Amino acid sequence: MFFMVWLAGESALLPSRIQMAFTLAAHVLIVPLGVALPALTLLMEGIGLARKDPVAIKIARRWSVVMAVQFAVGAVTGTILSFEFGILWPRLMGRFGAALGLGFAIEGIAFFLEAIFIGIYLYGWTRLRPRTHFLLGLALPPTGVLGAVSVLSANSFMNTPGGVTVDAGRVVDVNVMAALFTRALGYEFWHFIIAIYMTTGFVVASVYAVAWLRGRRDHYQQLAFAVPFTLAAALTPVQLLVGDLSARALVQDQPAKFAAIEITWTTRDHNPEVIGGLLDDAGQIHLGIAIPALDSLLVGYTPSAVVPGLSSFPAGDWPSVVEANISHLAFDVMVGLGTAGALLAAWYFWILLRRRRLPESVWFYRVAALAGVGCYVAVESGWVTTEVGRQPWIVYGLLRVADAVTTAPASFVWTMLATLVVVYAAIACFFVILLLGLAARWRREDRLHPEAPEEGVPYGPRPETWARS
Amino acid sequence: MSSLLPDVIALTLLLAITAYSTAGGVDFGAGIWDLQAGNSPRGREARALIDHAMAPVWEVNNVWLVLSIVLCWTAFPSLFQAVFASLYPLFTLALLGLVLRGAFFAFRHIADDPRAHRTADLVFGLSSLITPFFFAATLGAIASGHVGTTGPSGSVVEASFNPMSIAFGCVSVAATAFSGASFLVGDARRYGAVNLVDYFRRRVAVAALVLVVVGTMALAVIRIEAPDTFRSMLAGPGLPFALVTMVLTPAVAVLVWRRAYSWYRVLTVAGIGSLVLAWGFGQSPYLLPGRLTIGQAIAPPATQVVLLVIAVVLVAVVVPAMGLLYYLDQRGALESPEA
Repeated sequence: MFFMVWLAGESALLPSRIQMAFTLAAHVLIVPLGVALPALTLLMEGIGLARKDPVAIKIARRWSVVMAVQFAVGAVTGTILSFEFGILWPRLMGRFGAALGLGFAIEGIAFFLEAIFIGIYLYGWTRLRPRTHFLLGLALPPTGVLGAVSVLSANSFMNTPGGVTVDAGRVVDVNVMAALFTRALGYEFWHFIIAIYMTTGFVVASVYAVAWLRGRRDHYQQLAFAVPFTLAAALTPVQLLVGDLSARALVQDQPAKFAAIEITWTTRDHNPEVIGGLLDDAGQIHLGIAIPALDSLLVGYTPSAVVPGLSSFPAGDWPSVVEANISHLAFDVMVGLGTAGALLAAWYFWILLRRRRLPESVWFYRVAALAGVGCYVAVESGWVTTEVGRQPWIVYGLLRVADAVTTAPASFVWTMLATLVVVYAAIACFFVILLLGLAARWRREDRLHPEAPEEGVPYGPRPETWARS
Repeated sequence: MSSLLPDVIALTLLLAITAYSTAGGVDFGAGIWDLQAGNSPRGREARALIDHAMAPVWEVNNVWLVLSIVLCWTAFPSLFQAVFASLYPLFTLALLGLVLRGAFFAFRHIADDPRAHRTADLVFGLSSLITPFFFAATLGAIASGHVGTTGPSGSVVEASFNPMSIAFGCVSVAATAFSGASFLVGDARRYGAVNLVDYFRRRVAVAALVLVVVGTMALAVIRIEAPDTFRSMLAGPGLPFALVTMVLTPAVAVLVWRRAYSWYRVLTVAGIGSLVLAWGFGQSPYLLPGRLTIGQAIAPPATQVVLLVIAVVLVAVVVPAMGLLYYLDQRGALESPEA
C-alpha cells in the first residue's frame, strides 16, 4: 500500500537532472584514465622492451593494474548510465534511439574488445611471451579511442542534431553518416581526446611528482614522471588551440550556448570578454573583469564582430540565468586551468631543452603534483559548460529535457538518487583504499627488494587455500 | 531482404540477451553458491575457487548486458521506451544488484578485517541472487502483456510485480545456480581441487532438480496468465527450444553425476540458452504480446543496415577475440602471478 502511495507524485524532472548530473560527473572522472592509460602503459612497456629496461617493465606492470581497476569502475558507472537513459529519459531514446543509439551501438563493440584485451593484457604478464603480450596490448588504445569517438558522436548529436527526418514525433528516416558525424563531432572529438590524454599524463605524473617531493630520485621515479609528463605537456598548447576553435564554432552551431558561456545579454558588436562575474535577471553583470571588445575580437577577429546575446532568443529556448552563470564560470575555470597547464608545460620544456635534464625546483614539482587534480577539475568544468549550456534542450532545438523525462514520480527518483549517492561513495572509498593500498605495497616492495618484479593483481592478493589440496 | 532484416536484428538482440543469460548467468550462479558456501573450511575453499574462476572473465560477461540495451534502444526505440516506462522499478532493482555485486566483489579482496570481509561476501552473494531475479522478471513482465506501447497498461506496480514476472525471476535464479554449479565443476577439475569437484557435483544435481520443478511451475503460471505465449511455447516456434531445455537440464545432471566430464558445459549453455530462446520465439513476432510487433517497432531502414553491419562485426571480430580470451584462460596462460 505504501508502495502505491509512494509511486504517485509530482514530476521527476529535478531529481532526474540531479541524478544524471551526479552519475555523469562521476563517470567523467573515470573515463580519462580508462581510455588513455593503456596507451601510456604500452608506451612504457615498449620503452622497457626496446631498451631492455626492467624498471620500465615494472612501471608498466603496475600501471596496468591501475588501468584494470579504472576500467572495472568505469564499466560499472557506464552501465549505470546506460540504464539511466531508460529509467530517467525513456522518451529520449524512444524518439531518437534510431539515430542517437548508433554511436552507442558502435561503442558496444569497442567496449567489448576493450574488456577482452584488458583481461588478456592484465592476466598475461607472466605466462605470455613479452613480445606477444605487448602486441596483444596494442589492441587497447584504438578500442579506447573508438569507444570515445562513438560516445562523443552521440553527445554531438544532442548538441548539433542532424541526419534525421522527424514526422509526428517519430524518426521516420535516418541518414546514418549525417547522424553519426554531426557538426560538433569534429571539435568535440579532438578537444576531448586530447583532454583525456593530457589528464592521464598529468595525473600519473603527479603521483611521481609527489614521490620526488618525498625524496625519491631514482631511475624509477624519473622514468615514471618524465614519460607521462612530457606527453601531457606537449599536448597542452595543442589543447588551447583546439579549445579556441571549439568555442568559436559554437557561435554558429549553438549560439545560445555561446551567449551563456560569455554571459552576453544583448546581441551586439564590441562585446567585452567578461572574466568571472555573474549575470542577473535584468541582464546586468556583477563583479568580474570586463575586457573591452575582446569577445568580438576573438569571435570575428575585429571589434565590430556581432556576437549573440541571450535575450535575442525566443523565451524558453535559452538557458536560464542560473544555468548561464554556471556554464560561464565553468568555462572560465576550464580556460584558466588550461592556461596554467600551458605555463607549466613551458617551464618544463624550457628546463628540458636548455639544460638537458628534468627540473629540480621544488616549486615545479609542487605545481606538477597539483596538475593532476587541475586536469580533473578542468574536464569536469568543460563537461558542465557544454551540458548546462545546452539547456533547456536534451536534443538541441528538437527535444526539451522536460519532454524527455520519465513518468516515474519524483519520490522514486529521489530514492534512487539517494541510494546511488551512497553506493558511489562506497565505490569511491574502495577505489581510493585500493589504490593507496597498492601504492603502499609497491613502495614497501621497492624498499625491500629494489629489483623484484611486480606481483600485483587487479583486486589485490587472493587467498589460494584451495590450490591443489 | 528488407522484410527479413528486422527479424535478423530482432534475433541479434535475442541472442545478445541469451548470451548475457548464459555467460552472465554462470557468474551470478557462482555468486549464489558463494552465498550458500558459508564459513566452514570447505566453504572457504569453494569461495576461493569461485573468486579465482571469475576474475579474468566477469567484465566481459557484463558487456553482453550493455550490448543488449544499446541494441534495444537503437533497433526498437519504441520498445525501449515502453519497457522502461513500464518496468523502471524492476530495472532499478536489477541495476542496484549489479552495481553492489561489482563493487563488493572488488571490495572483498581488499577487506583485511574479517568482519568487513564477511559483510562483503554477504552483499556480493545476495546481489548475485537478486540481480538475475529482477532481470528475468522484466522478461516475464513483458510476456505477461502488462507492458503497453507507451507505458504500463495498468499501474507500474502491476506491470512490474505480477505472477509472470515473479515466475520468470524464480526460474532465472534456479537456472543461474544450475549453470554456475556446472561450470564450477569444470573449474575445480581444472585447478585440481578434487574434493571441490564432488562438492559442486552434488550442487549440479540439486540445482537441476530445482530448475525442473520451478520451471514446471512457471509453465503453469504462463498457461494461466499468458495463454497465447504458452500455446506458442508448446505448439509453435518456441517448442523446440522448450524441449531442448527440458531434455538437457536432467541430461547435464546425469552426466556430471556419473562423472562423464565431456560436453556437460556446452550442454549447460545450450540448455539455459534454449530457455531464453523459448521465451523469445514463443512471443514472436510480438515484442510486446498482442500490442507491438517487430515490424512495427523497428527503426528506419538505414539504421537497420548499420545494425546488421554491427552484428557482422560482432561475429567477425568480437567472437574470435573472445575465443582467444577463453582459450588463453582455459590453457592457463592467464594466471595471476601468485597462483
